[in-house]
Amino acid sequence: MARIIGGLGTSHVPSIGAALDKGLRDTPDWKPFFDGYEAGKQWMREAKPDIAVVIFNDHGNSFFLDRVPTFAVGVAETYQPVDEGWGPRPIPAFDGAADFSWHFVDRLVERHFDPLVCREIEVDHGLQVPMELFFGRPERWPVKVLPIWVNTIQYPIPTPQRCWEMGKVLREAIESWPGDERVVILGTGGLSHQLQGARAGFINQAADRAWLDGIAANPEPYRAMSREDYVEQFGSEGAELIMWLVMRAAMNEQVNLIHKHYHAPASMTGAGMVVLENAA
Amino acid sequence: MPENSGTIPDTPLFDRAGSIRGYRLNKMAMALGQAENRDAFKADEDAYLTRFGLNNEEKAAVKSRDWHEMVRLGGNLFFILKIAAVDPTPITQIGAAQAGMSHEDFLYERLGKKRHG
Repeated sequence: MARIIGGLGTSHVPSIGAALDKGLRDTPDWKPFFDGYEAGKQWMREAKPDIAVVIFNDHGNSFFLDRVPTFAVGVAETYQPVDEGWGPRPIPAFDGAADFSWHFVDRLVERHFDPLVCREIEVDHGLQVPMELFFGRPERWPVKVLPIWVNTIQYPIPTPQRCWEMGKVLREAIESWPGDERVVILGTGGLSHQLQGARAGFINQAADRAWLDGIAANPEPYRAMSREDYVEQFGSEGAELIMWLVMRAAMNEQVNLIHKHYHAPASMTGAGMVVLENAA
Repeated sequence: MPENSGTIPDTPLFDRAGSIRGYRLNKMAMALGQAENRDAFKADEDAYLTRFGLNNEEKAAVKSRDWHEMVRLGGNLFFILKIAAVDPTPITQIGAAQAGMSHEDFLYERLGKKRHG
């Protein structure tokens, strides 16, 4: 069976990618943010995964409001980075773990999920930025990807509990896969931010810091929270954090928090990461 | 979308009403993900907006880059950001317009950005 070698949580703020494109990594605004990810990058170099499962949301780039899938799964051989309006970015395309993706889709449907299955689709910063944060800017990505899109844009968005349940099926799919691949799971989005309304710019550093510890040690309260609770604590767009629950539910109940980093503000967002490993 | 569409103050959720109200505006903005549409927008903004069926109120909001008004008319930030890409505007400036603050105050007071040097 394939093996889960780590669960990562990370922000996917588009300005992170733009900062890298513009060579701003070592400027005073950005250096503390990127420096904190070095431990995560090092962990990834040593972990040598074969497949990265990336749970993220599209931001009005690959899906418009004409059709809004609550959950979508990519089964493509390759995923091009999408033009988000600034023109194409200088990063390589992503190879898809197509066979494993189909296996995951089979398992999801057996477990009564109803995903949109995507054979040809581009990926936006929600997937690009986490990959850049943990793998840098290689000529070719060292892993194949399994993208999972979660609608966090148009209400109703899925419940935290439903994201959790998807994570359980993801684990089953990994453990029932006959290959011997090493799999990392990246739950992305957040942390606290709000882009719209008079509360725009809302950042809740205390809640963010509690989240980074709590998602590791005691995720139960976050699974039980309502979507409105997420919006209240983390801001309207901070509700993206529900996507970390897919990752967390796929891990053991007991995990070790190997690395943790927090920085605010990154653009308009409380930003950070965790690296989790299953405890024995 | 109305500011009172949810139960959390000053926090609009992009729900059915907002999605319907902003549909044309967001569709127009979404199309700016394609280079040829960006060229058309830059060449003749009014003609481009007409092509997507925007009414005069929506057109005026776009043409004046009134971010607060675009959101009020149902624009969702993730879509209307593509207008900011054609006509480079930092997202924090759009945030400041939502919050009704100056850009400077928004950066340092609301976001807690640190001053360097």
